[in-house]
Amino acid sequence: MLAQAILLMVLIGMIAFCGTRNMQKAPLAVRADIGIVIREDNVMTQMALKYVENLESASQVCHFVELSETEGFEALRKRECVALIVLPEQLIEGIMNGANPSVEVYFPEDAGLESMLLRELTESGTGLLRVAQAQIYGAYDTAVQYGMLDRLSVMQGEIDSYNLAFALDRLAVYKEETVAASGRMSIVQFYGASAMILFLMLIGMAVYPVMQRAPSAFRRQLARQGTGEGWQCFCKWFCGFLCMGLLGLAAWMVIRVTGLFIPEASSLMQTLMQGTKDASHILAQTAAGLMIVVTVSVLVYFIYSLSGGRTAAVLLIFLLSVAMLYLSGGLIPSVFLPAAVQVIGDKLPTAYLIGAAGNVLGGYHEETFRQCMIGMGCYTLLFGLASYLFRRRG
Amino acid sequence: MITVEDITSSYGRKKILKGVSFTAMRGECIAIVGANGCGKSTLLSVLAGTLKPKSGEVLYYGRKAWSASGGRMYADREIIRGMTGYVPQENPLIPELTVYDNLRLWYPDKKKLKQELSQGFLNLLGIHEFSDKQVNRLSGGMKKRVSIGIAMAGMPPVLLLDEPSAALDLVCKEEIRRYLQAYLERKGTVVITTHEESELEMCSKVYVMKDGRLKQVDRGLRGEALVRMF
Repeated sequence: MLAQAILLMVLIGMIAFCGTRNMQKAPLAVRADIGIVIREDNVMTQMALKYVENLESASQVCHFVELSETEGFEALRKRECVALIVLPEQLIEGIMNGANPSVEVYFPEDAGLESMLLRELTESGTGLLRVAQAQIYGAYDTAVQYGMLDRLSVMQGEIDSYNLAFALDRLAVYKEETVAASGRMSIVQFYGASAMILFLMLIGMAVYPVMQRAPSAFRRQLARQGTGEGWQCFCKWFCGFLCMGLLGLAAWMVIRVTGLFIPEASSLMQTLMQGTKDASHILAQTAAGLMIVVTVSVLVYFIYSLSGGRTAAVLLIFLLSVAMLYLSGGLIPSVFLPAAVQVIGDKLPTAYLIGAAGNVLGGYHEETFRQCMIGMGCYTLLFGLASYLFRRRG
Repeated sequence: MITVEDITSSYGRKKILKGVSFTAMRGECIAIVGANGCGKSTLLSVLAGTLKPKSGEVLYYGRKAWSASGGRMYADREIIRGMTGYVPQENPLIPELTVYDNLRLWYPDKKKLKQELSQGFLNLLGIHEFSDKQVNRLSGGMKKRVSIGIAMAGMPPVLLLDEPSAALDLVCKEEIRRYLQAYLERKGTVVITTHEESELEMCSKVYVMKDGRLKQVDRGLRGEALVRMF
């Protein structure tokens, strides 16, 4: 039964993997080439250009190509670049000493969408700079007029913070917002966490001799001996919990030992697990791991209590495991599922279990840890109580 | 010795036992016969302590197992556990375990169990011959013998058997009868519910249960004459 559980898990894992091949992030479809002409070999201008090139907002949408003036206009004519920027001599020095030499920006005559967009942005940026400059000069003139030059730095500070806030806000337009389907976990960790939960749940199929309902005559005999129904339930679950925990631990050990002999497995383990040296985090992660086994074993116990026979229970465990894992985004991340399904999936026990497994593998995260522990605790109580009532009635 | 005084019991509003009384001495076998659903198993469940009666009293060797106080019934589990062995209609066995492992659940002392298997009552039941077999590979008769073996853990002086021969072949019935005979010879007390006439042979008293009441009948009654009493 254990071998079958592992086989099923591998099969489901493969299906899930194939299903998520298309999840890789596609590169940006539009990236504008911009020609740059530097009229002199100036170190400071080169530095400024490199700085702009490396700005996140610029590098996401622009690709700067350094050209000679002739090459630049030729490229613009051939529409090989959407704009041509000609930087004057002594650009940086001019900015610093107030000479402010002009930067020439050329766009093709019958500009395409990218050029038009860039023109708009350039004009907007130029306007912003004009305003900023006017503010600075205006503040200076005002300070001189009122004999308050000592307060000038304060006024300039205010102007800077205002303009920066405005400019930084604009960054949001360019900034790439990454929506990670796997949350704060990497894809490897995400599937590691899912596989961990699926494996534990499928182990439940192998522990049927321990967890399935005992014959009623056997239970009555136990009751006669002074072992009440509640205690019987607890002991049965506890045996199952121990078996599942030990099997899970054995699987873990096999993976670790494999890592010692196969370097690829070792590197995969390192990608999978984010180590921590903080004792409290280790404690929390251990508690999360323990709680995962408790919750899964109670869930499995509940299924055994619910279903009369062994076959029904094993089938139900398999179907429920796969269905709940799918709805909780364990096979395909839930962001790819319909919104209504996401709402349901987020409330299922598997959602909390995957979250907790992520805490164990991907490192401690207080908020997730707290949420998952509460979720798992509630489900443990609920399933535990329901199992007791079902068994008592049966 | 068993003393049962005016036991009543009901399921919901339906009264099953309406004042049942009888006594059984050491080494005596009491048979309770009656139609299906007349309350034989209910009476045995009360005697075995798995069902709470409404009123009445049950004493084992003069010690109160069930007694009423302030309108409520109280059980002395220690007495019931120590004095009785109970063989219900269904077998209290875990199918996935071997016979030996099943017995180990009820015989905490490993040495004693081995001794019982080699020369004690379990040997008499013939369990030693198939003690290493898995329960779900046993025949009905074998399972019943193991059930009796389980009930005999701790050698209780009273054995309560609920239709032990139901659905068994003649050989099995004979084996069980032989075993019970041996138990009675050792001064054990047996209360047995049965539909088998052959089992009535070894009983010193036969009671017919009808309408929730027990009526002692001539132990020589058989066949139609006995059925007419139901």
